[in-house]
Amino acid sequence: MSLIDCYKSLEGDYDDVLGRLRSEKLVQKFVLKFLNDGSYDLLCSSLEAKDYKEAFRASHTIKGVCQNLSFTKLYRSSHELTEALRNGWSPEADPLVEQVKKDYEQTVTAIRKLQAEVGG
Amino acid sequence: MRDKITRFLAVSVVGLTLLCAAVFVFLARYMNSTSAQTMREVGTIYMTGMNERISMHFHTMIEQRLAQVEALLEFYGADGSDKQAVDRELAYGAKARGFESLALCSDDGRFEMLYGNAIKITDPEPFMESLRNQEKKIAVGTDADGKNMVYLGVPAAYAMSGKETGRALVAGLPVDYIRDMLSLDKSNTLVYSHIIRKDGSFVIRGGEAFRQSYFQRIRAIVEEAGGSNGEQYVEELSAAMAENRNYSQVLEIGKERRHLYCAKLPYSEWYLVTIMPYDTLNETIGRLNRQWGYMVFLSCGIVLLSLLLFFVRYFKLTRMQLREVEEARREAVEANKAKSEFLSNMSHDIRTPMNAIVGMTAIAITNADNQAQVQSCLRKIAMSSKHLLGLINDVLDMSKIESGKMTLNMDQVSLREAMDSIVSIVQPQMKAKNQQFEVRIYDISAEHVCCDSVRLNQILLNLLSNAIKFTPEKGCISLSLWQEPSPKGEDYRRCHIEVADNGIGMAPEFKEKIFESFVREDRTRVHKTEGTGLGLAITKYIVDAMGGTIQVESRQGEGSRFCVILDLEKAVVQEVDMVLPNWSMLVVDDDHMLCRSTVSTLKSIGVEAEWTLDGESALDKIEQRHREHRDYQIVLIDWKLPGIDGIETARRITRMLEKEIPIILISAYDWNDIEEEARAAGIDGFISKPLFKSTLFYGLRDYMGMAEKNKEEPGRDLKGCRVLVAEDNELNWEIASELLSELGLELEWAENGQICVDKFKSSAPGYYDAVLMDLRMPVMTGYEAADAIRRMDRPDADIPIIAMTADAFAEDIKRCLEHGMNAHMAKPIDVGETARMLKKFIK
Repeated sequence: MSLIDCYKSLEGDYDDVLGRLRSEKLVQKFVLKFLNDGSYDLLCSSLEAKDYKEAFRASHTIKGVCQNLSFTKLYRSSHELTEALRNGWSPEADPLVEQVKKDYEQTVTAIRKLQAEVGG
Repeated sequence: MRDKITRFLAVSVVGLTLLCAAVFVFLARYMNSTSAQTMREVGTIYMTGMNERISMHFHTMIEQRLAQVEALLEFYGADGSDKQAVDRELAYGAKARGFESLALCSDDGRFEMLYGNAIKITDPEPFMESLRNQEKKIAVGTDADGKNMVYLGVPAAYAMSGKETGRALVAGLPVDYIRDMLSLDKSNTLVYSHIIRKDGSFVIRGGEAFRQSYFQRIRAIVEEAGGSNGEQYVEELSAAMAENRNYSQVLEIGKERRHLYCAKLPYSEWYLVTIMPYDTLNETIGRLNRQWGYMVFLSCGIVLLSLLLFFVRYFKLTRMQLREVEEARREAVEANKAKSEFLSNMSHDIRTPMNAIVGMTAIAITNADNQAQVQSCLRKIAMSSKHLLGLINDVLDMSKIESGKMTLNMDQVSLREAMDSIVSIVQPQMKAKNQQFEVRIYDISAEHVCCDSVRLNQILLNLLSNAIKFTPEKGCISLSLWQEPSPKGEDYRRCHIEVADNGIGMAPEFKEKIFESFVREDRTRVHKTEGTGLGLAITKYIVDAMGGTIQVESRQGEGSRFCVILDLEKAVVQEVDMVLPNWSMLVVDDDHMLCRSTVSTLKSIGVEAEWTLDGESALDKIEQRHREHRDYQIVLIDWKLPGIDGIETARRITRMLEKEIPIILISAYDWNDIEEEARAAGIDGFISKPLFKSTLFYGLRDYMGMAEKNKEEPGRDLKGCRVLVAEDNELNWEIASELLSELGLELEWAENGQICVDKFKSSAPGYYDAVLMDLRMPVMTGYEAADAIRRMDRPDADIPIIAMTADAFAEDIKRCLEHGMNAHMAKPIDVGETARMLKKFIK
């Protein structure tokens, strides 16, 4: 799977990220690094511990990373989750958490396929 | 109809009055005659009773007197006693009983006086006859003195002087005595009586009678009064007397009537005649009749009066009703006339574009080979069709409204989109008529409202197309929209829409009915203007349905101004965060309101702006800023300006500054026509008025990239600058490090706020040139870190700190600035933007 296909399958904006980072190699490097980012784990664990302040920060970080990498779909759901958690837990948060998890899985699956291809 | 009713009423009044009068007159007459009849009967009964009483009285008196004479006979018998003694006794007894004279009567009618004057019987024959038959009798006569006397004869056989035996005893009484006794001479009684003989001669005269015979008296009196039937009465009376009948008769003596009653008196050849004049009765009856008459006339009058009142009232009511009917008919006729006029106008209006379509189609067919011609024809056909459609839509709308079927379809409406679309619709028409168009928008706090967008559009379009229609070439039309708090509450905004022009205006009397259906001012000037005349009626209806008001001010020859006020509910939309970098901008427009409103809108999206009203002052400002080395980053300039216009101003700006700054033209006009000229003058882009927040945001964002490009090449070299990056996420840090390294920066990483503060603290002053600060970090947030750095007692505590975060809310930006940070950048990290920021703040 090429980098472009990977962006397609995780519903991101390849042109945008390429415009900013300017090199395909660089993009690929950071995309692959996303797999090692601990923010998602932090989000899950803090939600479990009902530490919503920390969960807010984690989802905020995911949002920031997604903005940097132009992972549009995950950015959207994490952005909404961030807003839902901004002032502690709110009723909208639960479905949004599910959405973020779903989108994260979609993103990670796509990147894993890319990883398998490039052998990184 | 009206005449008929009036005539009917008049005839009824007259008829009823006549009927009424006739009935009452008849009643009066009838009652009069009935009462006269009754009175006559009553009179007869009364007279009869009266006469009977008088004759009874006479009877009684005569009886009594005869009885007294008989009593003398009983006391002093005629048997052989001494004649002289008997005579003396008789005379004594008679004197004692009040007789004036007493005599003995012989068989042959010779009298031997016992006392008193000598007797002379007036008519001795019947008297003697009765006495000879042994009957009692009375008679009149005269004594020796000539005094009238009544003599009462009772048969008695007294001895007379000589050998002769007397036949009767005769006692005399004066006539006056009888008259007094019978009250025959009382002039104060209404009734008077006479005693007469069969031949009519008086025995005793009553009242003022003086003639010899009563018959003569009747004849004379009747004749005197001009009557002719005296003889008839006399005959009837003597006939009745001959038959010994009582006779009762009303004598008509001239106008006077008298009742006559005649009855035979006993012991005599006499008749008692009693007469009563009807005058008294008549007077009573007359009074009664008069009263009765008055009453009749009075009641007749009352009835007539009330009838008259009733008729007058009825007449008035009818008149009123007629007037109302007339009014209603007139209105109906007028409405009908308006409708048929409208129909004929409409037919004309529809026929015009229809003719064009038909004609153009024919031309296109004949010129099918000439493509240019066909295209031109098709264009014209399309135009006419559109116009036709407009007309038909209006008519349909109106019929919908008239049948009450129009409903509002409430939805979220963006006022910006509504205004944009209306401006783009009317622009070509205004351009065709060379009209100036101003769009003013200010104080818009709710861009999204709940409204029926189609109908809102219709209101704007109707008002604007009217303005275009009735404003001559080179006229001026303006559209304004502003908001203020609504009295309906927090959730509402009061929106004012104002369309003003300096066109032909309208007459005051027309202004009154401008919102009625099917009305168009009837002036030759207006005649050639097309339209259904329904536009404003429809507009008014829509505004009413939306619960708003529409008002019009107009002066003939000076122009019109329509003001619509609507209270619209704010729409609940999550508005996109509209934040732009804090550029410094200049707004140039001749409209003071627009400048102020635009600057405040720009501020709300993070842009610092200044404003000025004309090109010259704008040039001054730009020049001054240039000298201070803090050029405006974007200039917004209106096309139409007093003095030098927007394009010329742009040209001079470009000439003045060796480097370019983006210049954006703002105008209500379409810029296609001037684009080439504008581009040549150094104008980079165009934003169409009205300037809503979103218009500005999206319009400026499009030129943002360009702004960067322009700024990028020259400027400070960032090579070797040391930047501390506080970022908790490793991936983000790597990206930042990778990207920013390209600029030749030396980057150091701090994993959170605390580390960042520590690193800065332990560094030598001036070691770092800037800090890029993430805001959401564990241990210590970016805000706290910035505070801590600013609080440090070091010469470089004012080091540029640029916030870098995924949040891009205006409040976040504000908070950053509050915490002493210099600027704010939204993620994702953008090399150009970061470079610009760093260059801006690193000294």
